[in-house]
Amino acid sequence: MKTITNAQLLDELSADTRGIILFAEQLKARAESEMIRQRNDGGWSAAQVLYHLNVYSQYYLPAIEKAISGNPPSGYSFKPGLLGNYFTGLMGTDASGMVKKKMKSPKNAVPPPVIHVKESLNEFLQHQHHLLNLLEIVRSVHLGKVRIPVSIAKFIRMKLGDTLRFYIEHEKRHVKQMERVLEITSPRA
Amino acid sequence: MENDQHLLREFINRIHPLSDDEWSAFSEHWQPMIAKRKTILTASGETERYLYFVLEGVQRAFYLGDNEREATIVFTYAPSFSGVVDSLLTQLPSKFYFETITASRFIRLRSDHLLRLMEEHAGIRLFIIKALAHSLHGVLERQAEVQVFSSEEKFRTLLKRSPHLLNLVPHKYIASYLGIDATNFSKLLSTVSI
Repeated sequence: MKTITNAQLLDELSADTRGIILFAEQLKARAESEMIRQRNDGGWSAAQVLYHLNVYSQYYLPAIEKAISGNPPSGYSFKPGLLGNYFTGLMGTDASGMVKKKMKSPKNAVPPPVIHVKESLNEFLQHQHHLLNLLEIVRSVHLGKVRIPVSIAKFIRMKLGDTLRFYIEHEKRHVKQMERVLEITSPRA
Repeated sequence: MENDQHLLREFINRIHPLSDDEWSAFSEHWQPMIAKRKTILTASGETERYLYFVLEGVQRAFYLGDNEREATIVFTYAPSFSGVVDSLLTQLPSKFYFETITASRFIRLRSDHLLRLMEEHAGIRLFIIKALAHSLHGVLERQAEVQVFSSEEKFRTLLKRSPHLLNLVPHKYIASYLGIDATNFSKLLSTVSI
């Protein structure tokens, strides 16, 4: 677990977030019927994935804001923690984009059967821009000393740097899922 | 870093030389930065935070249309400024994506430093205005070309101005920049002798 500068880590995470923004903006061209189409094996529709990601944003973004409000300790480099690496690793995908470990979603993050696509997508984009702003703000914050309670286990407080890595890796995993479901259910010519 | 700053000063001198004092103030807050290929540095809807000066690599700014179609607006490469400059100076959200096409190396200056420098030094203000004027000239010229030149003329103009791009940039981006579709671009490539 090499120490990395804030600038390096946050530049990477910001670039990842912008890639997600581009992907989401491209989704606007999709018909609502394509977005709500589920896979035959019962896998989530793209809209349901968006809903799921929004639930995570609704928890994490305010939690991060709260943790850095006031006078957070400053820092310019970050050493990833064991727990952070574990959680982030769980989210990973291999070279072909296949998910390394299939997981079940926590109950409150399971999407309902009916989703308002346009609203979900707009909310999703708002969250990504909010995240970009936070990534900029924390450039001078100590990413190891500030800690965020993990959503599914609030007694575990993960380093801010690890929380950001995990959160964005989680989004990237689901973006790949959305690409796949749209490819399968609504392929483009 | 010193060599990089030297390149920057040389570039600025061609537009509007700064006094030693002005240069000293101007050069203070530039930060080195590298990015891998296909890295988005500014997204549509985001307000540009930096003025970039390109040291290595090729980048592009593009617009994403409603129908998922992309329009490549400009390519940048060393030595030149880069980033979404209209968003930087207006502090309004960018309408464009700014990304690296190849691995790139920059030095960049944060917008708050730039705006403060412009307020405090007349020479720096003048430099920015002249640089913008040059930029505007290029944009208007290109707008005219896009409307009246044939595909072949547009292609030849690009080859004259930036011959190295053909080897570094995926053809679909060049086609998009020329406003022609990829298949027609392939045909054009085979008929135009370079």
